[in-house]
Amino acid sequence: MHNLFIKRFATICSAVAIVASLAACGSSNQSANTIGFWDPYPQKNASSTWEAFVKRCAPEGYKIKRTGYPQSDLLNNLTTAVKAGNAPQIALIDNPKMPTAVDAGLVTDIKAAGINTKGYDSNIEAPGIIDHVQYGISYGSNALGLYYNPKILEKAGVDPASIKDWASLNKAIEQVVASGSKGITFAGISGEEGTFQFLPWFWGAEGDLKHPKSQAETDALNLVSDWVRKGWAPKSVSTDNQSAAWDAFLTDQYGFSENGSWQAESAKEKGYGMIPIPGKSGGVAPVPTGGEFITIPTQKKADKDLSKATAKVINCLVDGDNLKKTNDEMVYLAAKRSVRNQQVQENQIWAPWVKPIEQAKGRTSDIGLKYEDVSAQLSEDLQEALNQR
Amino acid sequence: MRHRSTWWKTLIAVVLTLIMLFPIYWMINISLTKRRSIRSGDLYPRDFTLTNFSSAFHTEMTYLGTSLLIAVGVVLLTLVIALPSSYAIAFLELKGRRTINFLLIVAQMIPAVVMALGFYQIYNRIGLLDSIPGLIIADSTVAVPFAVMLLSSFMTGMPHSIIEAAEIDGASRWRVFTTIVVPLSRNSIVTTSLFSFLWAWSDFMFASTLDSGGGRMRPITMGLYDFIGAQNQEWGPLMATAVLASVPTAILLIVAQKYVAAGVTAGAIKD
Amino acid sequence: MSFNIHPLQDSDGSIRNSKKRGIHSTTLAAWGFAMPLIVYLAVFYVTPLIQNIFMSLHRFTRRTFVTGDAPWSGIQVYQEVLGNPKFWTILVQTLLFVVLSIIFQYSLGLALAVFFNQNFRLSAVLRGAFLVPWLLPPMISGTIWQWMMDADTGVINKVIGFFGGSPIWWLQADHSLWSVIIANIWLGIPFNMVILYSGLQNINQDLYEAASLDGCNYWQRFWKITFPLLKPVTMITLLLGFVYTLKTVDIIWIMTKGTGTSRTLATWAYEMAFGKGTSATIRYSEASVVGTILIAIALIFAFAYLRAQGSERSKQ
Repeated sequence: MHNLFIKRFATICSAVAIVASLAACGSSNQSANTIGFWDPYPQKNASSTWEAFVKRCAPEGYKIKRTGYPQSDLLNNLTTAVKAGNAPQIALIDNPKMPTAVDAGLVTDIKAAGINTKGYDSNIEAPGIIDHVQYGISYGSNALGLYYNPKILEKAGVDPASIKDWASLNKAIEQVVASGSKGITFAGISGEEGTFQFLPWFWGAEGDLKHPKSQAETDALNLVSDWVRKGWAPKSVSTDNQSAAWDAFLTDQYGFSENGSWQAESAKEKGYGMIPIPGKSGGVAPVPTGGEFITIPTQKKADKDLSKATAKVINCLVDGDNLKKTNDEMVYLAAKRSVRNQQVQENQIWAPWVKPIEQAKGRTSDIGLKYEDVSAQLSEDLQEALNQR
Repeated sequence: MRHRSTWWKTLIAVVLTLIMLFPIYWMINISLTKRRSIRSGDLYPRDFTLTNFSSAFHTEMTYLGTSLLIAVGVVLLTLVIALPSSYAIAFLELKGRRTINFLLIVAQMIPAVVMALGFYQIYNRIGLLDSIPGLIIADSTVAVPFAVMLLSSFMTGMPHSIIEAAEIDGASRWRVFTTIVVPLSRNSIVTTSLFSFLWAWSDFMFASTLDSGGGRMRPITMGLYDFIGAQNQEWGPLMATAVLASVPTAILLIVAQKYVAAGVTAGAIKD
Repeated sequence: MSFNIHPLQDSDGSIRNSKKRGIHSTTLAAWGFAMPLIVYLAVFYVTPLIQNIFMSLHRFTRRTFVTGDAPWSGIQVYQEVLGNPKFWTILVQTLLFVVLSIIFQYSLGLALAVFFNQNFRLSAVLRGAFLVPWLLPPMISGTIWQWMMDADTGVINKVIGFFGGSPIWWLQADHSLWSVIIANIWLGIPFNMVILYSGLQNINQDLYEAASLDGCNYWQRFWKITFPLLKPVTMITLLLGFVYTLKTVDIIWIMTKGTGTSRTLATWAYEMAFGKGTSATIRYSEASVVGTILIAIALIFAFAYLRAQGSERSKQ
């Protein structure tokens, strides 16, 4: 009976082994003519026009395998993949992560790979150039602006054109609240997304990322936290991301919302207007550039043909008319003036965004890798300020 | 049992269930609301729409099938590994039983991050990345230690007189295991299966590291990301997807719960 | 008593009763039955465990992780983490989170299990319905709790307002810990209820009838029969509850991103390992140190559990 037991046991073991071997058949090893393509646009699924557009760029004899990752996971997954020698041929990396990617050796010189980098706006490309080497190409950018709800402003007797600086902005919000509506929504969530939304106020008070602890930071923190303390902004701002801030604005209870150009279409539908974010004592506050860099990740094994094909795909995505298509897909404004003008001509909702994007600053342009720490510091200070009771 | 009027107990139970399920109601509420009103906190879908469901229906159904396949696979794998070893721990004076118990507890504490990174490296080498069997194995690591601990703890409580009697009758250990121990463990098997199923169903960490390139063959927790952009999330269709995903599994749960029945062991003793 | 008597085992797990078969055959069979598990543990857990400890003893950054030449740092990272004043605050928050969650999950779960153990109309269906919260991906349940606890528009504050109370800023940094505990209790009740319920099913109903004849009331029956007989199941439920609560990340992360008082050791390790907190810098080594500390805490608890289990057995 002891033999019987062993026999039974052997049967189970072999069954498990069969399952395991079947498993091996199911997996797809990357073959030599597949170009891996990672982007942070998981909302573009396999049947999206974006996927079709990317795939059309595959050179003869190659096919593109596109994978969309959540923005917050892409760089980590790329880190693991590069270490394991399993990196895709192309990866789209969020611009403030570029110094990190370069420091970790995840991405390679893009000019050396044969990509044409001429003619792009330098403010948008700056985050991808580290120690005079260009590691990626940014095809376009989004920007932040101050959306307003004209019906609510009218009821409160506020003329959006009168908002020129922080004092007039505060006055406008106060009037809106006094008329029975709510004031302003924005994203103060912990982490980069909250810092991204805080920077226009910080820069608008003439803050410098080289010296974050400054009067400018205090002023900007006071501005936004006062909104919460006075009940002008929802208490949830400290946990709201930009999408949540927009959802709150969509309820038509708020006068203003700090949000991005990606909502321009939705704003047009609802009849919202947009003004640039004002600086503390007037003028337009610089906003951070937003958007991704097309990069070529580090490969463990060199494959010349594959590299050439990869370069062809990238050139295809940003060449001529395709640069506009890529930006239209992402709802960005292109990083080339001529293409931007074309976009504005075609769709007037872009007109007010041109200026903020041309004046936008890269978050890492001045301080490079140090931005990680500075951003963390700003985020912690912002959390503390917004949570004051 | 006690045969008294029990309608008031049903009433209390209904009220308790409603409280417990209120967040579920909220999910349904949001799934039927237009985006412009999801944050207004209305108690019912005042700004009613069905478009969330239609967009969820069109994009998400294949993910549901994948999730189901994975979850069932995890349940089976978990039982195949956990049942015999639980029997060994509970009945067969396995040497080093304590060490194994200890290991099982430690195993459950290993951070999921570390597990996921470890699996990635192994799978990359043996070609299991982006495959369903790979994900089944990875997901089972959450359930197996739990299953062994729970099953062996329940088996320890089983009446040993039956097993001894069978052994005296000359039944082999394999026979004792399959014809007595397993059937008697029905309650705990259903319970462990339920939890293995649910853990696999809601796993995100392993799916996102090990199966992100799986295309349509990804579980529903990844499919939800179709509605999540970097700066823009569509909560309406997301909640609608979660509602759709909950319906078949909720039915499964309720049916499975019926099998956790009274008197399994008591009945066996009387025979 | 039909429950929990095990003549073959004694406290140290040594072999006592092996008259019927040779020692050799029993041992071999035991190893045979346990072999799938042993192989499984060795393949899937030992490697990550070693890797975790390895990473905690080296200085890993994103770059050294990729290049693989992280310098040896010995216990230096441990010293840094333990010397960080944040650590002790977070430890206290973690213990509060775990202990309060477990107390409420267990007692509410037990009360519900006992309640549903009485056969009444719909009891099976409603019991099943209690599990439905587990079907929701954490992304969904966390977001729903965040919305329900919204200070301005949340439904919980609406209910409080309906009864005349003033609204609570649930997710404010100073008391976000209490909010995530509430949500976590909700999440844990089904687990406790289901395990305890199936434990109750294994208690021989004859005992209750005998006790009734002896004139014991409902309360006495609970404390004299149900509770003591549930002890093994209770211990395993508490142990597992402890382990799972200790490593909870999802629900906290989605509700508050682990800010303010809601930061626990597990969310701290998560934000450092993935660079997802306020800082985008990856700190693999620090995360591994916190991971190792979590394992150590669980081990202390596991040791207490095994001691209790041992003394339980030697009593019989």
